[in-house]
Amino acid sequence: MVEPIFNYQFRLILIGDSTVGKSSLLKYFTDGKFAELSDPTVGVDFFARLIELKDGTKIKLQLWDTAGQERFRSITKSYYRNSVGVLLVYDVCNRASFEHIPQWMMDARRHIEPHRPVFALVGCKLDLVTNGSRREVSKEEARAFADQHGVHHIETSAKTGINVEEAFRTVTQEVYSRIQTGEYKLEDGWDGIKTGFYKPSGFDFNLIEAEPAETSCC
Amino acid sequence: MFRSRSWFGGGLWKPKNPHSLEHLKYLYHVLSKNQTVSENNRGLLVETLRSIAEILIWGDQNDSSVFDFFLEKNMLSFFLRIMKQKCGSYVCVQLLQTLNILFENIRNETSLYYLLSNNHVNSIIVHKFDFSDEEVMAYYISFLKTLSLKLNAHTIHFFYNEVNEHTNDFPLYTEAIKFFNHSEGMVRIAVRTLTLNVYRVEDVSMLAFIRDRTAAPYFSNLVWFIGNHIIELDTCVRNDADHQSQNRLSDLVAEHLDHLHYLNDILCLNISDLNKVLSEHLLHKLLVPLYVYSLMRHKNFLCQNQEERKHVSIVVALFLLSQVFLIVSHGPLVHTLAAVMLLSDFETIQTGASKVLEMYGDISSDKPIAFSPPKESLEKSLENLSESLTVSDDLYEEENNLEEKKDTVNTENGNEEVSGTNRASTSFNSVSTVTVPVLMSPEQLDIPAEDLEEIKHLNVTDEEKEQILALESPLTPQTQKNITESLSNKPFLETILNSLFCTENDYAALFALCLLYALANNQGIDRKTLDPILCNSQSSTTTLYNEILIDRLIHIITLSCQTNARVRLVTLELTIKLLIQLVMSEGQSMLKDSHLTAIEAAKEQSTSLLKNFYKSEDIFLDMFEDEYSEIQKRPLNVEWLMMDSNILLPPTGTPMTGIEFTKRLPCGDVERARRAIRVFFLIRDLSLTLNMEAETQLPLTNPANCIQVDNVLDLNNSDIISCTIVWKDGQKIRRFIVIDVKQLILVEPDTSKLGWGVAKLVGFLQDIEVAGDKDDSRCLYLTIYKPLSSSTGNRVPLLSAKFIFDDHIRCMAAKQRLTKGRIKARQKKMNQIARLLDIPTSIPHATTPPNYALRGFRCERLGRGQRLKDHQLRPMFTVNKVPGFAAQMRRENVARATPGLSSTPKRGDTTSNEKSHENGLRSRDNSPKMPRPRSEEIPLEDMRLRKASLTSNGLTISHICEEKKDGQISACSTNGEPSSVIRKHSEETSFTCPQEVKPPRRKGQVETV
Repeated sequence: MVEPIFNYQFRLILIGDSTVGKSSLLKYFTDGKFAELSDPTVGVDFFARLIELKDGTKIKLQLWDTAGQERFRSITKSYYRNSVGVLLVYDVCNRASFEHIPQWMMDARRHIEPHRPVFALVGCKLDLVTNGSRREVSKEEARAFADQHGVHHIETSAKTGINVEEAFRTVTQEVYSRIQTGEYKLEDGWDGIKTGFYKPSGFDFNLIEAEPAETSCC
Repeated sequence: MFRSRSWFGGGLWKPKNPHSLEHLKYLYHVLSKNQTVSENNRGLLVETLRSIAEILIWGDQNDSSVFDFFLEKNMLSFFLRIMKQKCGSYVCVQLLQTLNILFENIRNETSLYYLLSNNHVNSIIVHKFDFSDEEVMAYYISFLKTLSLKLNAHTIHFFYNEVNEHTNDFPLYTEAIKFFNHSEGMVRIAVRTLTLNVYRVEDVSMLAFIRDRTAAPYFSNLVWFIGNHIIELDTCVRNDADHQSQNRLSDLVAEHLDHLHYLNDILCLNISDLNKVLSEHLLHKLLVPLYVYSLMRHKNFLCQNQEERKHVSIVVALFLLSQVFLIVSHGPLVHTLAAVMLLSDFETIQTGASKVLEMYGDISSDKPIAFSPPKESLEKSLENLSESLTVSDDLYEEENNLEEKKDTVNTENGNEEVSGTNRASTSFNSVSTVTVPVLMSPEQLDIPAEDLEEIKHLNVTDEEKEQILALESPLTPQTQKNITESLSNKPFLETILNSLFCTENDYAALFALCLLYALANNQGIDRKTLDPILCNSQSSTTTLYNEILIDRLIHIITLSCQTNARVRLVTLELTIKLLIQLVMSEGQSMLKDSHLTAIEAAKEQSTSLLKNFYKSEDIFLDMFEDEYSEIQKRPLNVEWLMMDSNILLPPTGTPMTGIEFTKRLPCGDVERARRAIRVFFLIRDLSLTLNMEAETQLPLTNPANCIQVDNVLDLNNSDIISCTIVWKDGQKIRRFIVIDVKQLILVEPDTSKLGWGVAKLVGFLQDIEVAGDKDDSRCLYLTIYKPLSSSTGNRVPLLSAKFIFDDHIRCMAAKQRLTKGRIKARQKKMNQIARLLDIPTSIPHATTPPNYALRGFRCERLGRGQRLKDHQLRPMFTVNKVPGFAAQMRRENVARATPGLSSTPKRGDTTSNEKSHENGLRSRDNSPKMPRPRSEEIPLEDMRLRKASLTSNGLTISHICEEKKDGQISACSTNGEPSSVIRKHSEETSFTCPQEVKPPRRKGQVETV
């Protein structure tokens, strides 16, 4: 039960059209599992995971999954503001989902202002392509778009797990780098970046002994 | 050891600060250790849940990391897990309460949205709690209500899951409306609030769901529920013996008002689809069959085969309809209802022919709409509603099945139901479709389609057809000829108008008036529909109103001017209100001369009725002014009137029912006098309005002519008495008393202008009470009451304090002038009243002979303007005019020619006489050298006696005799006491002007001699 110790806490948000695979991507990233069937996200969902960067810095990621459906657009918008990283998710086998990316990106940018988030363009369902489904968004085209906007691009599969870890790690690393360079600073009233607990002690001095719970196992 | 383990276990330590992340961590630990609810940990869990709500709310406003922790640990899932165990009401209640607090208080929208996301809340809503437990029910419904308050165009998507392959549900709404008829009123109110909150969200697909899936069953059941309340209400009225059920009735009326306001709230949201369904249900299943049909005198006509056809008494029906038209203003609904009520005639009701209304002429209304009778079948559908709603996908079909079931039930039960069905349905549909073509497009509704089939199956017989009510409007242009003819042919309208007869009593008349008033004032009704009823549209003739109606209104007015009339004041006031509204147009009266004459006659009648009471009561003037201010202050409010359940019971006279004076008949002479006064005011006002004259004589006191506080007055050459006012709390202020004709003014000198003063307190002389102080002859106790306001039952003193004068002479003077002033002021007003009542003021003996003798006598004495006022003296006052010593007194008075002197000793009533008696005693003790008792005083004590003994003495001579007699009587009474008793009056009589001190003394001497 000891609280995991981390240096920073970043808040990331996943956005993109409905059914492109945001929830699956997150589920794989946090649970290592993939569900064949899942209900569309209603509203938002929350996940958290600790990752360690190359230099040993420990980062806690707070991950907001959002509903892609239009009717939740007004709800999900309120989650932009406190995010430092944005994963723009599309389905490599769904042309429309890619074509909507500029719109998603613009939305995010506008709502996160004055902060400037780290974007990553994440293609999903790469496994379908290898299974013979028709790819509708070429890697080159996506890469070109990413380069044009100065964002990272990566293609993943939540089913096979390929590049999932990488996608999040890239964004996390980029945020961390910007902290190092001083571009990002901790700010009160903004939850995009927070410092974590450095001390290994999770206990305060004002703790008193609790009555042991009746059912607690010994 | 335990301790060390828990140390390493972490979180088992309970932090001191309950508002901290650490505390939440501790609570999380407790939850995770106690995931299974058991007898042992129940208390702990409840406390934990309670604390979690508290800390989350705190965190929401102070520390975002608190909610982050809640998110990371997914603590909401613990809640759900606990709920899903059969954990008993103890834990459930706390769980619901915690959720309620969370949703009610969390401001951070990202937190709120998270809590609402992914149907967690929906799964809580559909959870089968034990609703038989009152507490669970209460917390559950208030949880739902809280959620509904969070609804808006954004959050609606959390609750209403749009159509896709898996979902199309809206548990918040569908679960809530299951409790629409819960026995607990608070639950029903919560459901209503919730539904309104839902409807208010402007979301097209959600509203479509509401309309398509829930509207028909919900509204039909709601309407049935309301109908049952009305039957109950009717039963309550019918079975009431001697106003025993006032409380019960009041609840039922309040309930009905709640229903109507709720329905109106929905209609006012202007959701046309919803309104269409709701209006249909209301008209088809409630308003027309239960309310309007009850207006039919011959119920058999409507229900030959139905021994237990539901209807309510005419009185109740009129009352309910009034409420409907007062509250609901949704045009299509009220308009249709009004048309059905006013236009439908016998033939159309009987033949069931539903034809195009050529008058409105644009729509064919041949489509009959069946009416599902509010019978057992509907009760069944009530039961089935919950089931059908949970399986929302099948709802539609179920509803249909229900309808079919209903059919079978109907046929089994016999023809009556079926016929009833058809009758009602067809009835107003025709009208509604015609008059309100836009609203009523039955094709779009589910039920009509259903009903069509029903009709096919039913194979209606001729006999049944006869019972079918088709409300085709008979008012084609040609039929507008004679309202009298058509009246007999229009059963509902006939009932309404016939109810206006109040030969026996005005029980039904009041409601008929209310209904007409409500109709005339309802914004939703097309004037054209009302025209034939409220006014003759025959523009050829000069009259622009319905003569029959006006005749009957005037008849009520005439009746109410009779002695022992059975018309209540409220009925009269409403009649007049309605009459004025009907015949006044742009400030001009359209009333025919014959009608106007009738009203003038009524006015005469009311005046002469009031004359009988003039002065017959001691407090006539106070009553007169009181009633006037009452009428001015509280003009009739029909909406409020119709909230009063008391009027539903047969009119009564006794005030012991607690029923307001205006809403019952008078009881006793005082009330009869009050009633006569009011009738006079009301009809006088009507007459003035109709003649387009302004009121010039009322109120008796024109506030514009009165001195106000802070007015600066020129007091040069005025009589000013200086004094010190001592309040009860010991506070002292130096003031000058100025006595005006009407008012007593306390001034302080104006610093800027010599001889001027600023009014600091102003009171009416008629409202003062003066009393001496037996211990201090320089003191007076003065109470000045506020002007009459019967809103406060007892009179509130404007000032009640001790006045200390420079010496006892000035004190006496002040007292005398105040007392005299009071009497004069009152005399003046009585004079005014006499003028209002056309009592000839020059012949003062006219009305109350016993006193006139005295007055005439005194008029002689006084000569001056006093004479005119004298006749207004109340018996009490005149009593003081000393018998026996009259001659002497007169001489003195005449000699001094002091206006108003004659009335000096007057006191308002017996109590004040007694008081003065005491005062006199006191003053005697204190100042034996005070003036001797004046003869005038003596009779005061025996006033009643004398009053009784005095009988019509018209002449001065006989009056003198009378006075002598009186004098003897009083002498007797005083003789019984020590002579000091007589002297005790000395102070009393000698009050006012110093110059008057002497004569009384002489008188006193005479007397004691």
